[in-house]
Amino acid sequence: MSRSGWITVAACALVLLALDVLLPRVLNPYYATIVIRIGIAVIAAVSLQLVNGFTGQFSIGHAGFMAVGAYVSAAFSVYVGAGWLEAFAAVLPGPLARVAYYPMALAAGGVAAAVAGLVVGIPALRLRGDYLAIATLGFAEVIRIAILNVDAVGGARGFSVAAADHPGADLRFEGFGTVYAVALVTIVVISRLVYSSGGLSFRAVREDEVAAASIGVPATRVKVEAFVVASFFAGVAGALFAHSEGYVHTNSFAFLRSFELVVFVVLGGLGSITGAVLAAAVLTAAPELLRGLGEWRMVLYSLLLIVTMLVRPQGLLGTRELGFDWLRRRLG
Amino acid sequence: MALLEIENLTVRFGGLTSISKLDLAVESGAIVALIGPNGAGKTTAFNVVTGVYEPTEGSVRFEGRQIGGRPPHAISQLGIARTFQNVRLFRGLTAIENVRAALAAARRSGSADVLRPPRWRRREAELNEQARSLLERLGLAREADAAAGGLPYGEQRLLEIARAIATRPRLLLLDEPAAGMNPSEKQALRELVARLREEFGLSIVLIEHDVRFVMDLCERVTVLDHGEKIAEGPPDTVRRDPRVIEAYLGTGGGAA
Repeated sequence: MSRSGWITVAACALVLLALDVLLPRVLNPYYATIVIRIGIAVIAAVSLQLVNGFTGQFSIGHAGFMAVGAYVSAAFSVYVGAGWLEAFAAVLPGPLARVAYYPMALAAGGVAAAVAGLVVGIPALRLRGDYLAIATLGFAEVIRIAILNVDAVGGARGFSVAAADHPGADLRFEGFGTVYAVALVTIVVISRLVYSSGGLSFRAVREDEVAAASIGVPATRVKVEAFVVASFFAGVAGALFAHSEGYVHTNSFAFLRSFELVVFVVLGGLGSITGAVLAAAVLTAAPELLRGLGEWRMVLYSLLLIVTMLVRPQGLLGTRELGFDWLRRRLG
Repeated sequence: MALLEIENLTVRFGGLTSISKLDLAVESGAIVALIGPNGAGKTTAFNVVTGVYEPTEGSVRFEGRQIGGRPPHAISQLGIARTFQNVRLFRGLTAIENVRAALAAARRSGSADVLRPPRWRRREAELNEQARSLLERLGLAREADAAAGGLPYGEQRLLEIARAIATRPRLLLLDEPAAGMNPSEKQALRELVARLREEFGLSIVLIEHDVRFVMDLCERVTVLDHGEKIAEGPPDTVRRDPRVIEAYLGTGGGAA
């Protein structure tokens, strides 16, 4: 990496650290939760954008992969990680031990979801359009109902991310810094993946699969790659969700959650990373900020969606990126 | 050994025989035309050679290697490129992105794209340069950053040829490259195709209905009708072949 690259990374790290320290002091816990949820929604939406927006494969089961990530990472933390965390805490100061452990929990969720993505993607991505959509939706429901019947992760009671036999290990992580660092990594990885010559393969498959194959793009492979990468980040988002809430329940990953992610992606503009970020942030905050309106809240939310689709059927940003040249110069 | 050898090729879709016992050889460096009435099986032949369809019987060999039944992307990587009858560009991408996609398709590396080491930058700049020079050679330099789907039809056809050449093929299949072009555009295309053969060392097979286009450009012509080869040879001979005249005009027709 060039010198300016390192400076950018250092600056980002500094800002994130400042956020991590400052935000909990200035925001009340309710707003703090919303800010964290926005970060998680951004990660999930940007990863789904890779599949739906850039590769043109319409998946509506993304929450299924979040569920896999959330539950696997939670189970990992409770049954394995708590012991490790205690061992780390014995040699490192508290916060440092947590910083050392946390990436492992996230990786566990991400890898598990990526494996699920591979297993689901290979057969499902042979389907097109509506059929693929239904297959992904079906998968997400299968996952949800399967988890509901696994007693080791609480079944229908939900699953607390706390280890009874390691009372000293605090498995909850609510750091803004972490969530937004992961969000930043997700955005950088996915935008670099698609905005490169090799990454044109994703968009080539979206535009015309037959033509893509005719220039040597292994279309099925490209689709599976997109699906696996997207699942990985969805899994990480799930893991962040589990550890920041401290409790997971399958209700959080029901069809509506998948659907919400599709809305972020479509509304932001299929094929726009910044669009997905924007839509995820606004639409995660909106229902909360509109809470004062009582029962009119969902009416307004729906109206917002309808009006946007009427006025900007291509989504907020279409396939363009907001200030992306600037970003690319900084990060590229 | 011929560059492309099709032997005894039969393609059936259920009860419909699209191509029957076709033999065709394309020598290295040749420009060959495939002509015949609608539904004769010309595009089907392209689709088999490029792996879109599998041969029901018979063999397709490219540079001595059996390619019948391999997937399209693998055949493209072996060195066969094509254009489509109904132009199939990546319409939402720019002209130069269409070409860059083809340049980079066979050698992608996700980890390099994400980590972007200096080597990646150099290669990316190189690909950009190559794409630009290719567009220039096809007279599309000014359209480099325009959306492919918004280009005039004739330029879309040229861009499709540029994209095909970007895969560095040795054999190029052109499916009705002159369709929808006016006489002067056709003239320019004819010169372009001849020039591309020299510059890129290509062998070319083209499907075309325009007789003059074919006669002026091609050394050999193969005529298909109802999936069977009914004539083959230099354009002048083929043009006078009674079976060819019959296929095009029906029995009792006059001179073509």
